[in-house]
Amino acid sequence: MLLKLLPHFLSWAGIVLVLLRAFPARRPVCAALGSAGFAAGVAAVCFLLRAFPGDLAFGIFRGMMGGSLLLLWFVSVVAVYRSTTRDFAAPRGGGVTDGPAFAGACSIAAGVLAGAVCACRVSGGGPGSLPFLLLVPAAAALAFALLPLEARLPGSLTLSRTALVAPVVALLLFSSSSLLRLDLFAPLSMKVMKFAHDFVHQFMESMLFPDHFFIRSYLWGYIGLLFGEGVGFWGALVIWFTPVALVLLALQLERLPSVAHIRQGARRRKLLATALGERRRRLVIPLLSLAVFGGAAYQSRYPSVEYWDPKPLAVAATPAGEIVIPKKGDVDLQDGRLHKYLYKQGAKEARFFVLMGPSGHFTVDLDACAICKPDGYGQAEGTVICYYCKTLIPLETVGRAGGCNPVPINFTEKEDGIHLDALALINEWGNTVQTTTKVKEGGK
Amino acid sequence: MKRLLRPALLLFTSRFTPPVVVGIFLLAYIGIAFFTEDALIALMELTRHSAVLVGLLALLPLNALGRVATELRAVLARRRALSGSGEPCAELFDERVELSGSCDFDDLKQRFAGLGYRTRQAEGSLGAWRGISGSPARLILLAGSFCLFLGILISLTARNSSRGALIEGEPLPAPSGNGGVVERIRLAEAPGLILSKSLEMRVAPLGRSAGATYGIYPPGRHQGAYVYPRYLGIAAYLQFSAPDLPQGYQTHTVLNIYPPGKDAALEVPNSPYRFVVSMPEPADGSDPYATGRMGIQFKLFKGKDALFSGSVPAGGELVRDGYRVAFPDLRRMVITDFIEDYGVQFIWAAGGLYCLALLAWLPALCLRRREVLFVRREPGLILACSRSEGQGMAHGGIFNEALDLMESRNP
Amino acid sequence: MATIETTGLTRSYGDICALKPIDLSVPEGEWLSVMGHSGSGKSTLMNLVGGLDRPSAGSLKVGGEDLLALSEDGLARFRREYVGIIFQQHHLVPYLSSLENVMLAQYFHSVPDEAEARSALERVGLGHRLKNRPGELSGGEQQRVCIARAIINSPKLLLGDEPTGNLDSKSTVMVMELLRELRAEEKFTVIMVTHNEDVAAWGDRTIYLSDGVLVREERLGIS
Repeated sequence: MLLKLLPHFLSWAGIVLVLLRAFPARRPVCAALGSAGFAAGVAAVCFLLRAFPGDLAFGIFRGMMGGSLLLLWFVSVVAVYRSTTRDFAAPRGGGVTDGPAFAGACSIAAGVLAGAVCACRVSGGGPGSLPFLLLVPAAAALAFALLPLEARLPGSLTLSRTALVAPVVALLLFSSSSLLRLDLFAPLSMKVMKFAHDFVHQFMESMLFPDHFFIRSYLWGYIGLLFGEGVGFWGALVIWFTPVALVLLALQLERLPSVAHIRQGARRRKLLATALGERRRRLVIPLLSLAVFGGAAYQSRYPSVEYWDPKPLAVAATPAGEIVIPKKGDVDLQDGRLHKYLYKQGAKEARFFVLMGPSGHFTVDLDACAICKPDGYGQAEGTVICYYCKTLIPLETVGRAGGCNPVPINFTEKEDGIHLDALALINEWGNTVQTTTKVKEGGK
Repeated sequence: MKRLLRPALLLFTSRFTPPVVVGIFLLAYIGIAFFTEDALIALMELTRHSAVLVGLLALLPLNALGRVATELRAVLARRRALSGSGEPCAELFDERVELSGSCDFDDLKQRFAGLGYRTRQAEGSLGAWRGISGSPARLILLAGSFCLFLGILISLTARNSSRGALIEGEPLPAPSGNGGVVERIRLAEAPGLILSKSLEMRVAPLGRSAGATYGIYPPGRHQGAYVYPRYLGIAAYLQFSAPDLPQGYQTHTVLNIYPPGKDAALEVPNSPYRFVVSMPEPADGSDPYATGRMGIQFKLFKGKDALFSGSVPAGGELVRDGYRVAFPDLRRMVITDFIEDYGVQFIWAAGGLYCLALLAWLPALCLRRREVLFVRREPGLILACSRSEGQGMAHGGIFNEALDLMESRNP
Repeated sequence: MATIETTGLTRSYGDICALKPIDLSVPEGEWLSVMGHSGSGKSTLMNLVGGLDRPSAGSLKVGGEDLLALSEDGLARFRREYVGIIFQQHHLVPYLSSLENVMLAQYFHSVPDEAEARSALERVGLGHRLKNRPGELSGGEQQRVCIARAIINSPKLLLGDEPTGNLDSKSTVMVMELLRELRAEEKFTVIMVTHNEDVAAWGDRTIYLSDGVLVREERLGIS
């Protein structure tokens, strides 16, 4: 458990250091409020898991992570505009962002999210378990232990108010990306892929482009790339990294101080050199944030989660064309795990799985969905994951049709086991895979 | 009124308006994506029916227009200032400094000329500049943005589309009524890098209207609407009779079964009979649609039972076991959309303008614009202004050197 | 206020005492010539005052800064911002042009500024030799580039270690006149080490060192 919490506590340590460096006049207050926020985050997760078992807690905090990314986007765009507009009215870092309320709000907000992520990590043991109880004291101790350490960091490593958001969001996303149900990058890729597909489709229709039948196949091959999973991945990377890149750009584009009123060359150059040096030093933390964002994307893409993905067991149909799977036999269908099977009928085959959900009811579904390539599903952390698009489907919703959910199959539950129609299974698999193959090829 | 005018002017001329508007639409998209898989289409529908969103979207082209006006004003004002006929306002230059000194502008002029600047000396002022201004590129970019957002706005709110089947020998199914008769549809292989096929739809003249030929791309126009061919198919006349259907069944139908390999279903109404039809691929590998040698391959179902299958050439029939299937007439057909959308031209114009802006910007990127202006105010007082596109530290050095020179000659 | 104040300033290298305790005061703007035979401690004194070396004992204040209290970084900053040095051997970078050599000094101080460097070379009469490398310049021209390099960062203290040692008499006079003009404009303090009486006579005051001891002081000079 300690090892699992290590990346989260490292992120928390990074967040605390950033807050302490950003608000040097209020360091103990930031450490205290950050710890209080952490405790609030843990308590919130505890409450939500108790009151609404299932995916709600994860959904709320994943939404808040998404909100933090949107906030970073907003801040970075404002920063670029501010740097490139001579007469921008808003004061640079003055006013609201200098006050104690701003420091307190940042610390609390960061603490809440960091605490919630840590609590979600240990939620497997149940709210109120020992790891849960130890989280807050450990986080608070770490926050205060970092106070003297932060004082020893080079004083030249400064942080502007704008640049503060970047490392905090980066560390929060790094922390959350190691949890499947809090990860933002994978669903972002999926949404970008969908958006790209819809946009290209709409654009081509709006611009009256001919159907793919009239276009040269090599060209359609290039257009087809826009319908693939790659565009989702690269598009998500662009959305992921652009805010920090904009922050770096904003810092680079900041106007140097005017020196036209100084008549001594050496003094002018000294002033410019000091400003350039400060500017360079303020780039360090956003550059590190870029690396942290990269780490978060990598964690999402290659999670260190072991999926439960059993090898499909071969099954045969009875002479009446029924497939019967005993509830207890070689495998225990009631263990809450995914059980995969492979049925062959001549040259045709179908893959499906049986799962007993948290409600205690069985569901039988194809090991494929109506949208993606039939790469199959795995199970981890209370969800089922589509290997192709990395969409997480909560166990409670497996069995419902639509989206990336596995296609449900009609079945009957009897005393001796699960009964399903072999021909219906083969037909459903054939129809589903044929459709998703067409989707893979692209086209209208 | 004046109080409203100022924020309105700000909205129409501010650089911040486009990201704010785009941000609002992005947030709307994200919100909609929680509720539906087709978020983009839902957002487009929502925008079409929402005056607020249409108003927001309309801000974009208006803002682009406003910024074109502001940029032009600034360019002209700077030009006048550099020529000595205009007042060098603070917003036109990056640096403005007043210093006491008396300077021979001839000397300065020679100095700047020696550094590659072009100069213009007027009564009491000296302007010097070098490089290529990025203003033309910015103006073209803004014009492109205006066209793009206007095109999107028009396309979204005022696009009318109707679909019809163009069948050889039949009247043109245009929305505005009879526009002629489709004389001929021809499909052929096309040379070229982009299109693999060429499609020619010849419409014979009717009455006073002139005939026309419509192709694939760019789409032709018929009475203001774009003729947009979508899918190829067959218009078939089917005659069918069965032992329990002695009166027979005949129908004209449109079958989306091209290219060969596509299936279409055809139900015989008030009967258990159903056809699944497709187009057979000729043995010689030729394209039946292009050659006109078309046939229909079919499977006849009665309920869930497949009765028999067969193949019938155009004008042919198949009789078996009391069943008769005939396709006396098979004609080429193109499913075509007639689209009234004046936004398309604007969007294409935007693409062209963006390319032009890039071409105009590249030289400006290599030879950044630098400007200085010296104006004699009162005796012994000189106003010095400087502007550079990009960071321009070298230009700053030259400007400060000139100021040092003027100050050193201050008696 | 004195620019340079030393009390008991000493420098030893093991058993060898290069500079015996010296008390020296140089007011702001003075041109001090330092004379003595070879090994008398002239260059040692100049190195200590310029922050190029640390004394073994005594106190040393330059421009109000106690050099003994400065760290290595502090000394480096002091040298960059306060001191300009002209050497006998020039030490110009041979593969850089005159302009680039001057800009190099700006680079180590703050940021390079081509226009200012050009101005400085024009000031020393080399506006037409900007693109020439040191190998293409005469001895006097090279020394003038050194002067431009030394004064480009507006130092308060200019040190010359036998700057005219390798020059003919005509070039020597040209260089000394240039230094005098610059001192009048920029108002820096000059310490010139030389063993040439004629060169020393350009200063406001001359001190004589012998075996590390200040033996004599004279107020002569045509400056």
